[in-house]
Amino acid sequence: MGKPQYHTDIVKSFVNWSLVWGVVAVLVGVIVSFQMINPDLNYPPYFTFGRLRPIHTNAGIYGWGVGTIFAMFIYMVQRLCKTPLWSLGLARFQLWLFNATIIAAAVTLLLGYNTTLEYHEMEWPIDLMIVVLWVVFSINIIMTIIKRKEEQMYISLWYMMAALIGVAILFTVNALAVPVSAFKSYSIFAGTNSANVQWWFGHNAVAMALTAPPLAMFYYFLPKSTGVPIYSHRLSIIAFWSLIFMYLWTGAHHLLWTPIPDWIQTLAMAFSIMLIAPSWGSVINGYMSMKGQWHQMRDNYLVKFLILGITFYGLQTLQGPMQAIRTFSAFIHYTDWVPGHIHMGTMGWVSLVSVAGIYFLLPRIYGREVYSIPLANLHFWLVVIGQLIWSTSMWISGILQAGMWNAMNADGSLTYTFTETMVEMYPYWWIRAIGGVIYLIGILVFIYNVYMTVQKGKEPAPKLLEVEGRA
Amino acid sequence: MDLASIMYLAVTFGLFVIFALIVGNTYKRKNKQKKEAPKYRMMDDD
Ligand code: HEM
Ligand code: HEM
Repeated sequence: MGKPQYHTDIVKSFVNWSLVWGVVAVLVGVIVSFQMINPDLNYPPYFTFGRLRPIHTNAGIYGWGVGTIFAMFIYMVQRLCKTPLWSLGLARFQLWLFNATIIAAAVTLLLGYNTTLEYHEMEWPIDLMIVVLWVVFSINIIMTIIKRKEEQMYISLWYMMAALIGVAILFTVNALAVPVSAFKSYSIFAGTNSANVQWWFGHNAVAMALTAPPLAMFYYFLPKSTGVPIYSHRLSIIAFWSLIFMYLWTGAHHLLWTPIPDWIQTLAMAFSIMLIAPSWGSVINGYMSMKGQWHQMRDNYLVKFLILGITFYGLQTLQGPMQAIRTFSAFIHYTDWVPGHIHMGTMGWVSLVSVAGIYFLLPRIYGREVYSIPLANLHFWLVVIGQLIWSTSMWISGILQAGMWNAMNADGSLTYTFTETMVEMYPYWWIRAIGGVIYLIGILVFIYNVYMTVQKGKEPAPKLLEVEGRA
Repeated sequence: MDLASIMYLAVTFGLFVIFALIVGNTYKRKNKQKKEAPKYRMMDDD
C-alpha cells in the first residue's frame, strides 16, 4: 500500500513566516528593554515603549508562537492520522489571512488602537479576522482527525484538539464587545466581571497557546528524535485530562487581593497548586522516556533543546503555583519577578521546543540535511545563556523591588520613594538587555543555519527523502 | 446553601466523576495494550 501524499509546502510557508515574526518579536523585545534603560530611545508618537510593548507580546505569542503551532499541527496531524490534510486550499487561505492579521495588528497597535485588555489588545475588526482564521484552521485539523486511518489517537492529537477548542471559546467570550466606531469598542463586561473574564482568558491563553501546543510538539518530537517511544501513553492521557479539568479555574490567580470575590481567589489558588500534578505528569513522562538514552543529551542536539525545554516547563509550573499563593503574590505581584517567570516560559519552554521542531522538520520539508550541527549547538548555548541571564536578573530585581516597596520606618511611613526603587532597577535592566542581545544573536545564528540549510544543505540519507513521494 | 451553590457543587462533583471514570478506563488492566499502542504506532515513519 502506497504512503499518503502529505502536504509539506504549506508547512514550509508557515515555518518561514513564523520565523519572520519570531525575529520581529525578539528584536522589538530588545528595543523595549533598552527603552526601559534609556527613555531617550522613545520616539513619540509611534515608537514608544507603550506602543512597542504590545507589538512585542503579540508578535511573540501570536506571530512566532501561533505561527509555529500552525506549521507543526499541519505537519503532525497528517502523520499521526496517516492521511493528508483535509483541505490544502483552506490552509493556503489560512496562511494569507494569518499574515494579513499580524500586519493589521502591528499597524493598528502602532497607531495606538488598543482595547487595553492584555494579550487581547486588538480592536474588533481584527478580532473578526482572528475568529475566521482560527475557525478555518480548526476545521481543517479536526476534519483531518475525523478521517484518520488510526483508531486510537496519540496524545499529541488530544492536546491539539484541546488547543483548538479552548482558544475558540476563550477568545470569543473575551472578545464580546459593542463596537462604537471602526476602531473603538466597549467590552460587554464591566468592572470586576471584566477583570475576571479577562484573566480567565489571559491565563487560559497561557494554557491553550503556550502549554497544550508545545506539549503536543514535545510528545511528538522527543520520541521521534531519540528513536524510542515515550515512557507511558496512559500517564500522558491522565495528565492531559487532569490539566484540562484544572486549568480553567485558575485565571483569578492574576487578581489576588483585588475586589473580585474572595472565594474565586481561593478557588484559583487551590487549583493552581493542584496544577503541579498534571504539569509534572508530562515532565516525568519526558524524563522517564530518556531512560537509557541520556547519552543523547551529549550526541543529539535536538534532544538537548527538548529536554531543556521540558525542564523549563517543569520549573515554570512550580514557580507559577507559588506565585498563585496569596502571601507570595502580595510580595512579587507588580514587580519584575513576573516578567522573569514569563520569559522562562516563552524564551525557554515554548521557544526551545518550537525550534527543536523546526530543526527536525528541515530535512523533511526541504529535503536537505541541517547545514551545521555546531551552529545548532552554538544557537542552543546562546539562547539558554541569554534566557537565564534575562530571567535571573528579573527575579533578583523583583525581590529587591518588593523588599524596597515593603520597607517601612518605625513611624509607619515608607522607607523609599517609588523613584528611589526605580533607580535601583537600572543595573538589572542593563543585565536583562544584555541577556536579550545574547538571545537575539542566538536567534540570528539559527536563522543563518536555516537559510544555509535551504541553500547549501547536503542531500539527506534516502530514508528522509520518502516524504512527499520523492522516494 | 442556596441553589447556586448546590449547582456549583454538583458541577464540580460531576467533573470529578467524569475524571475518575477516565482514570478507571485508562488504567483498566484489560485496556493496557490498546491504550499504550499509539506510542508505538506513532514511531512508524514520517
Ligand atoms: C531577546 C528576547 C526577548 C526580550 C529582550 C524581551 C523583552 C521584553 C521586555 C523588556 C518586556 C517588558 C517587561 C516589562 O514590562 O517590565 C517583555 C514583556 C513580554 N514579553 Fe518579551 N522579550 C523577549 C522574548 C520574548 C518572546 C520570545 C516572547 C513570546 C513568545 C515574549 C513574550 C513577552 C510577554 C508575554 C511579555 C509581557 C510580560 C508581562 O506582562 O509582564 N518575549 N519582553
Ligand atoms: C502550573 C502552571 C502555572 C501557574 C500556576 C502559573 C501562575 C502564574 C501566576 C500566578 C501569574 C501572575 C503573576 C502576577 O502577576 O503576580 C502568572 C503570570 C504569567 N504566566 Fe504563569 N503560571 C504557570 C505556567 C505558565 C506557563 C507554562 C507559561 C508559559 C509561557 C506562563 C506564562 C505566564 C504569563 C505570560 C504571565 C503574565 C500574565 C500577565 O501579563 O500579567 N505561565 N503565572
